[in-house]
Amino acid sequence: MTEGTNVIEGLYYSKEHEWARVEGDVVVVGITDFAQHSLHEITFVEISEAGTVLNAGDECGLVESMKASSELYVPISGEIVEVNAALEDAPEIVNESPYEKGWMMKVKPSNLDEELKNLMDSKGYSDFIAAL
Amino acid sequence: MSDTLKRTQLYDWHVAHGDVVPFAGWEMPVRYTDIRQEHMAVRDAVGIFDTSHMSRFWIRGPQAQEFLQTLTSNNVSKIGVYGGQYTTCLNEQGGILDDLTLYRVSEEEYIWITNAVNGPKIKKHLLKNAEKFEVSIEDRSSEVSMVAIQGPSALHLLSKAAGKDLTDLARFSINPVTLSGFECYLCRTGYTGESGGEVLVLNTPIDSDGKQRAIAFWEGMLELGEEYNAKPCGLGARDSLRLEAGLVLYGNELDESTSPIEARIPYAVKFKVDPHYLGYDVVRRHKKEGGIRKTRIGVEMIDRGIPRPQYDVSFKGSKIGKITSGVMSPMLSKGIGLAYVKPKTVEVDDVVEIDIKGRTRRARVTTWPFFDPERYGEHRTL
Repeated sequence: MTEGTNVIEGLYYSKEHEWARVEGDVVVVGITDFAQHSLHEITFVEISEAGTVLNAGDECGLVESMKASSELYVPISGEIVEVNAALEDAPEIVNESPYEKGWMMKVKPSNLDEELKNLMDSKGYSDFIAAL
Repeated sequence: MSDTLKRTQLYDWHVAHGDVVPFAGWEMPVRYTDIRQEHMAVRDAVGIFDTSHMSRFWIRGPQAQEFLQTLTSNNVSKIGVYGGQYTTCLNEQGGILDDLTLYRVSEEEYIWITNAVNGPKIKKHLLKNAEKFEVSIEDRSSEVSMVAIQGPSALHLLSKAAGKDLTDLARFSINPVTLSGFECYLCRTGYTGESGGEVLVLNTPIDSDGKQRAIAFWEGMLELGEEYNAKPCGLGARDSLRLEAGLVLYGNELDESTSPIEARIPYAVKFKVDPHYLGYDVVRRHKKEGGIRKTRIGVEMIDRGIPRPQYDVSFKGSKIGKITSGVMSPMLSKGIGLAYVKPKTVEVDDVVEIDIKGRTRRARVTTWPFFDPERYGEHRTL
């Protein structure tokens, strides 16, 4: 496997390279291995506060690397119930563990079933990044 | 003009060892491993950079000095043989066409080293203005590679390669020297805030022999540098290092509508010069009488965040300017940046607000370098 192409089965993916994992009644959101690898050396992560209500596709934070600044978009509608506080002091966790320790926020979804249909599965996302 | 990206003599090595990206019309390494590690190698030890994408013009002739004085803002008559100076090349309105280093290698022979992005523009400018003078302009950029060796151990490494002590070379001097068997000019300069040199490796044209020689020189320096923990460094570290040192970059802080006084690089500008250079009157007025439209400041984030180019800077609720460069400082672990603001709006230690994509974040106005100059940089004492 080449670097930056790890895709996990069972997650949902956006074209903006966010992933979403359904865990009971919340959805955990982060950025993909492809995204962290493209950004390289993440130096700063800022995510909208818990309590913020967002629509799918809304901007909800910033991910900064040594070379660039990128917006983070929420892939599904709902209310942010928790953000990953560990990233404030150690944003490099996103490079090291994009799908596990480097999660960014937990969202209480408002229209989950409908919106999951708009996201890609692991196969779809693998094809999507292979074509980039 | 061709859209094809240009490659330096060291391109094959960069592709094999680093991440190569487009930069100013060139395919250049942004990093080999990690920008922060490469950055810290230069602050703590020594880093080696390919700077062959910059343009190198040889200017020769009985009127070379006079010709250069008409086109550059520092005092050319102060450059002795084997001396050099940082200077700017201006347009009639005093705007900066380029910032450059000018060296003198014999009575009637100078070397003009200029930014990659401005190479073609400056070449035209030199050729056009040379018509009235007894001078010749030769572009030797593709015959001579250029490698910067920077950091507190850089001069020790260069001494080892030369087999003689080079640690006392004068700042801005240019020295013919043989390094590991390669005939070179060693310039006692750099753009990282640290001590060190920039090496012109002669007889390294862009053909297979020249490339092999350039790569042999580069690998030789890395090997000799092992005992000093030398690292190859890409353009990412070059940018964060110059920014931490408060050094201006063409395209960010400098352009054709900015004067050297506005950019706060007064050391590049002299007025007791003969003849007067293009742009003299405007720059003299900016310096002596005022009339500047903007002034450069440094900012260090108080709140979380990184200032980036084009972000608005405000003071007490009023917009006063824009960020031109910004980065997470590896030394301070804080966002730092340079900005242009309206003159006389803020002073050092004032707190300004930066609009980071709709979020208002506080930053302190600072001077540069951003690091502690007693502990780091060329003038460290501890």
